[in-house]
Amino acid sequence: MAQPKQKHEMYKESARKKDVRTTNIEAAKVVADAVRTSLGPKGMDKMVASPDGQVIITNDGATILQKMTVVQPAAKMLVELSKSQDVVAGDGTTSVVVICGALLKKCQELLAQGVHPTVISDSFNKAANKACEILESIAIPVNLEDRESLLRAATTSLSSKVVSQYSSLLSPMAVDSVLKVMDPNRPGLLDLRDIRVVCKSGGTIDDSEMVDGIVFDQKTAKTAGGPTRMDNAKIGLIQFQISPPKPDMENNVIVSDYTQMDRVYKEERNYILNAVKKIKASGCNVLLIQKSILRDAVSELALHYLAKAKILVIRDIERDDIEFISKTLNCLPIAHIDHMKPEKLGLAKIVEEVDCGKGSVVKITGIENSGRTATVLLRGSNKLVLEEADRSLHDALCVIRCLVTKRFLIPGGASPEMEIDLQLNDWSRTLQGMESFCVRAFAQALEVVPYTLAENAGLNPIRIVTELRSMHAAGQKYAGINVKKNAITDMVEAKVVQPLLVTTSALTLATECVRMILKIDDIVPVR
Amino acid sequence: MSVAMAAGSRLQLHGERQSGQDVRTQNVTAVSAVANIVKSSLGPVGLDKMLVDDIGDVTVTNDGATILKLLEIEHPAAKILVELAELQDAEVGDGTTSVVILAAEFLKRANELVRNKLHPTNIINGFRQAMRESCKFINRELAISTENIDNESLLNAAKTSMSSKIVGVEGDFFAQLVVDSIRAVKSVDEITERVRYPVKAVSVLKAHGKSARESRLLDGYALNLSRAAQGMPRRVVNAKIACLDMNLQKARLMMGVQVLVTDPAELEKIRARELDITKERIQKILASGANVVLTTKGIDDMALKYFVEAGVLAIRRVEKDDLKRIARATGATIVVTLADMEGNETFDPACLGTAAEVLEERISDDSITMIRGCESTKAVTLLLRGANDYMLDEMDRSIHDSLCVVKRVLESNSVVPGGGCVETALSVHLESFASNLGSKEQLAIREFANALLVLPKTLAVNAAKDATELVAALRSAHYQAQNDATGESKDLAHQGLDLIQGKIRDNFKAGVLEPSLSKTKMIQFATEAAITILRIDDLIRLDPSPEADQ
Repeated sequence: MAQPKQKHEMYKESARKKDVRTTNIEAAKVVADAVRTSLGPKGMDKMVASPDGQVIITNDGATILQKMTVVQPAAKMLVELSKSQDVVAGDGTTSVVVICGALLKKCQELLAQGVHPTVISDSFNKAANKACEILESIAIPVNLEDRESLLRAATTSLSSKVVSQYSSLLSPMAVDSVLKVMDPNRPGLLDLRDIRVVCKSGGTIDDSEMVDGIVFDQKTAKTAGGPTRMDNAKIGLIQFQISPPKPDMENNVIVSDYTQMDRVYKEERNYILNAVKKIKASGCNVLLIQKSILRDAVSELALHYLAKAKILVIRDIERDDIEFISKTLNCLPIAHIDHMKPEKLGLAKIVEEVDCGKGSVVKITGIENSGRTATVLLRGSNKLVLEEADRSLHDALCVIRCLVTKRFLIPGGASPEMEIDLQLNDWSRTLQGMESFCVRAFAQALEVVPYTLAENAGLNPIRIVTELRSMHAAGQKYAGINVKKNAITDMVEAKVVQPLLVTTSALTLATECVRMILKIDDIVPVR
Repeated sequence: MSVAMAAGSRLQLHGERQSGQDVRTQNVTAVSAVANIVKSSLGPVGLDKMLVDDIGDVTVTNDGATILKLLEIEHPAAKILVELAELQDAEVGDGTTSVVILAAEFLKRANELVRNKLHPTNIINGFRQAMRESCKFINRELAISTENIDNESLLNAAKTSMSSKIVGVEGDFFAQLVVDSIRAVKSVDEITERVRYPVKAVSVLKAHGKSARESRLLDGYALNLSRAAQGMPRRVVNAKIACLDMNLQKARLMMGVQVLVTDPAELEKIRARELDITKERIQKILASGANVVLTTKGIDDMALKYFVEAGVLAIRRVEKDDLKRIARATGATIVVTLADMEGNETFDPACLGTAAEVLEERISDDSITMIRGCESTKAVTLLLRGANDYMLDEMDRSIHDSLCVVKRVLESNSVVPGGGCVETALSVHLESFASNLGSKEQLAIREFANALLVLPKTLAVNAAKDATELVAALRSAHYQAQNDATGESKDLAHQGLDLIQGKIRDNFKAGVLEPSLSKTKMIQFATEAAITILRIDDLIRLDPSPEADQ
């Protein structure tokens, strides 16, 4: 569109392109800097106060970025980046953003030296692929039977969170629950939705437990004095309502005679009584009732009859939980009263209401032929701690899931980053021209991880990074920063390990994001 | 990378962001401000606060948790402190002021350390170590086990918790009331066989008039309600109580049922039937032999007539919680509906509860209904008297605190001397503990030890005594007790402040006792809260979403 004779304007145009790129990179770098201090076991927390007065204290990169509501488009890409790392690996959400920021910084330097963006982009891609190869070469294969290694990986992931002091309690929980829901024949199809985490405030995190069975946050319905404990339970999961029926359309029952009034009452009683009798006849003694928006899922009268029939009732089961419950209890959801058959019921030894802090929960234990599901009951002294514990446990679960899908461990404590740095440097010498230059820059960018880790731990970053580099150069490929001891040690011996998948996905995702940002040369706002 | 903080301003988001030292200092300032508010109400000579809300309701209180709850604090870090007080209130019930003051002091000192270039993570580690060591030390050295608890120590613990409150003047009197009432509600869990003392089972009634000394413990359960109609008897002996959770009003057909009549005579019949349905229900209840009827819902004038005729005492609009407790105490079952398994309506006499006597009493201007001689006496009522509402409310809160304290003593079986004794002993111990460590954490632990002294200091300042001198004397006594090989000055370990005389004395002998659980929890919670705030190095305040103006 620009006319060739306006040379003056062409020049301006390219300056603008440069500006756009610089602003994008700057904005993205700032985002990375924002989360940098929360990296690693000694990272700090962020407090986010939303306009409605809610406060979140967290250490989880994905959560921080999501809550920050950045507006700059390129900065938003970093938020997305952290989210996708959360989806793929579940952990390393802070690292991925920090690495991306460091890579962008290097890009800026390269651009200033006159390297074309496309060249940078392609060389970074090659470097990332090579880095993944290097990672695979230093990875240690892990056997799923080896509970000890899994525990170590979970503990490493928990170490940076507020709840780190409880990692001896939470990591076995994470490992056991993932192993429980895993199908040994099809380990790839691991669904974390099969692990139900119930949060209940009150008590401390020490009181958290993994329940062999299922836990409901609700109380049993006891307005009519129904039972709160049932041995040898036969559990029916119903999706219909036990309340006076309502036709689809607006309707009126018309009474024209006083004798009919009694009939109206009696009919209602009989209708509900019949339903309860049918339920009783199937042998069911614990009833889980799905929440209904159309009408009362269960009326007062029905509760009264159910209590008289000694049936324990749990109301307000969410629609989304039905699948999990039926899988766990090995029962079938019942959609109509006529389908109430004994073979559709689930069997369990004990169903009981247990006091739990200020409220209470219902526990079902001793389930017969239970499906591959797990339930964790998390406790915490206040909502902030509880929410953070939930997020941390989720990260630990994801770490174990990563290990199940890709069974390799690599050392933690910035050891792999340093190893990649060195090996890429060597590799770059075999390359020619710009490419070699860019790969070296890529390698240098990765030093941000050990640097930040040391900085956050209150150590001298320059001393630590140089020492680490020399040790890696001397062939100690597992050497890393041991934050607990404030020294450099062998990370495998120190039992700080993480899944391979977390780091490879962080590297590839960060590189892709950088390439994307590099290629943008204009922002066009569209109304 | 050093420009990271400066770059923070360039981060474009809907809101403002602060990071690094700014946030820490700001948080500490906010937290200290909150602590300063409650500081002057600590201890037996602490003063009260009067809080007036936007509609003019007045609360006069000395209770830290109550003050903070009413303050409507906005600063996120200060909010953590409010939650901390609430947590202490829920878990222990007492020590809410101390925990807030302690947490703020920890933070203040931690911030100083950060300014002196000690990394927050080192401080956090040090604080955690100090906290663990303190709890161990309390349980190992300071706690005095009261295996078979004598009345004396219970009374003393109750008195100590009251000493700072408005009822403190009549400490002996109220301590006795509290101990008696908590003993009366003792119950044993059937499955776990654990002895429990449910504070909730003590119901507290407040009545205007007379002096606080006229407060008394009523035997049986008191309801702040009178009978539904004047014609009913005032007193029923050998009561058979029906607990209902249903309406005894003119029957109304359910929604979606329309009455359509062509003949005016029919209309009359329908009206009559509406009345009859309720009448039949009442008759069924009466036929079972009930002579006291309690319902959570209403009773029509029309329906009252039947009760009056039968000479039955009926009370309407009973609180559901009250009804549940009455049902438990009298052995009744709460009835929601009369429907039976045949689809008809009957009232099962097995649902009735029994009590020796139900009678209406007048206390000043109010009438209350007493239920006496229940099957199990697991419910008692404390009747509080006082000059005005504010005083009664404050008395209620103080009594609640004391009830919690006595309950904790009974459950945990151990007490510690109060009056700054524990804090000073811990401080002295942690100082020597810190000296044995060779790492950076040493500094943090030492500051932790110093921070603990804020409690005895504040106690002394509030009592207008020379804090510096008293605390120094206290420290030297504890130092002697802990570094004594011969065991001669062992009893110095119980030295605490005597705030009336302005001296130090043996607080164990003087009977100033607190449950040891209260102290350990206080230190744990305060440390946890301080760490939570200390870990924050970034505060992002989001603006309301801009969608509204688009």
